Amino acid sequence: MKNQQVLSLAIGSLLALGLVGNAVAADTKMEKCYGVAKAGANDCGSKKAGHACAGHATMNNDKNDFVALPKGTCDKLAGGSTTEASDMPKKGM
Amino acid sequence: MNALHDELSVFAGNILGAAQPTPLFDASTHYTTDIGIEVYRNNYRGNLQDALAGAYPIIEQLVGAEFFRRLARDFISLHGSFSANLFDYGAELSDFLMGYAPAHSLPYLSDMARLEWACHRAYFAVDAAPLELVRFTQVAPEEYANLLLHVHPACHIVASAFPIVEIWQAHQPVGTFEIDLARGGEIALVIRQDDVVTVRELTEDEAHWMNGIMQGQRLGEATDATLNRHPAFDLQNTLLLLASLGVWTDFTLGELS
Repeated sequence: MKNQQVLSLAIGSLLALGLVGNAVAADTKMEKCYGVAKAGANDCGSKKAGHACAGHATMNNDKNDFVALPKGTCDKLAGGSTTEASDMPKKGM
Repeated sequence: MNALHDELSVFAGNILGAAQPTPLFDASTHYTTDIGIEVYRNNYRGNLQDALAGAYPIIEQLVGAEFFRRLARDFISLHGSFSANLFDYGAELSDFLMGYAPAHSLPYLSDMARLEWACHRAYFAVDAAPLELVRFTQVAPEEYANLLLHVHPACHIVASAFPIVEIWQAHQPVGTFEIDLARGGEIALVIRQDDVVTVRELTEDEAHWMNGIMQGQRLGEATDATLNRHPAFDLQNTLLLLASLGVWTDFTLGELS
């Protein structure tokens, strides 16, 4: 092990952090982190009306087979947007 | 196989649209067999679609709700659900998107799906208490090289040729869209602190070292390998940073080298 000194220093600093406690541990978050709490999605019955059971029995989900183009936040990414959105056929044309 | 199993197989085939309705289907009450099966099929698809939207909220925002609906429908037609837990559904979306022609204009989409799936798994990973760092006093310095650091079960690393961390952050409540896709790739570290999943960028050397640790390499081994490849690698800072993120949960000693 040629990097013994590197290891000793590194573990030593972890130990020092442990000895001074959690208050310092919190301070070592040097940069802003973004976090997100996810909602659970394990309901066997959907909350959305579109799938809400018998009333929609005869609606065929496969019918709306449009030529879709991505139309979301991808437009905001430089170099990543699609420009064809305005070429979509409009009703009545 | 027994009769019930056979019957359920036929019914599953009906739901996936592959087989003729079974005559055993009870259509005596409100609906014909065809409509009854269509009700079930619509609910089946709708639930899977909601499960996908729950696992991939940024993909949905990136492409918009309308496109996402179509994408989800195409995915569902190829991938059935094989777990009783809906949060297990959708693992293959990243692979699916790689070959999905309608999304070809968004080459980063597949990697974003990989990152979102890692976040999704991180959210549902089991709890683990962070390592009490004072426990390192129990280890003799000459044994440091043999330390096996245990990583939190929610921890994942996702590497991409695109700035996936920036794209992810832009879709958080305080995010801003100042992203140039040509700026190059990013490596994402996914971790959960309490119930909140966090994504943070790792440098190349940090990720190289962390991948070694996650593959079960001892501290000395992983550090040697990374320093050989990235001489400027800062082990001390990396260890401290990851400790502050709650990545370490335990350690054991590997065999002496």
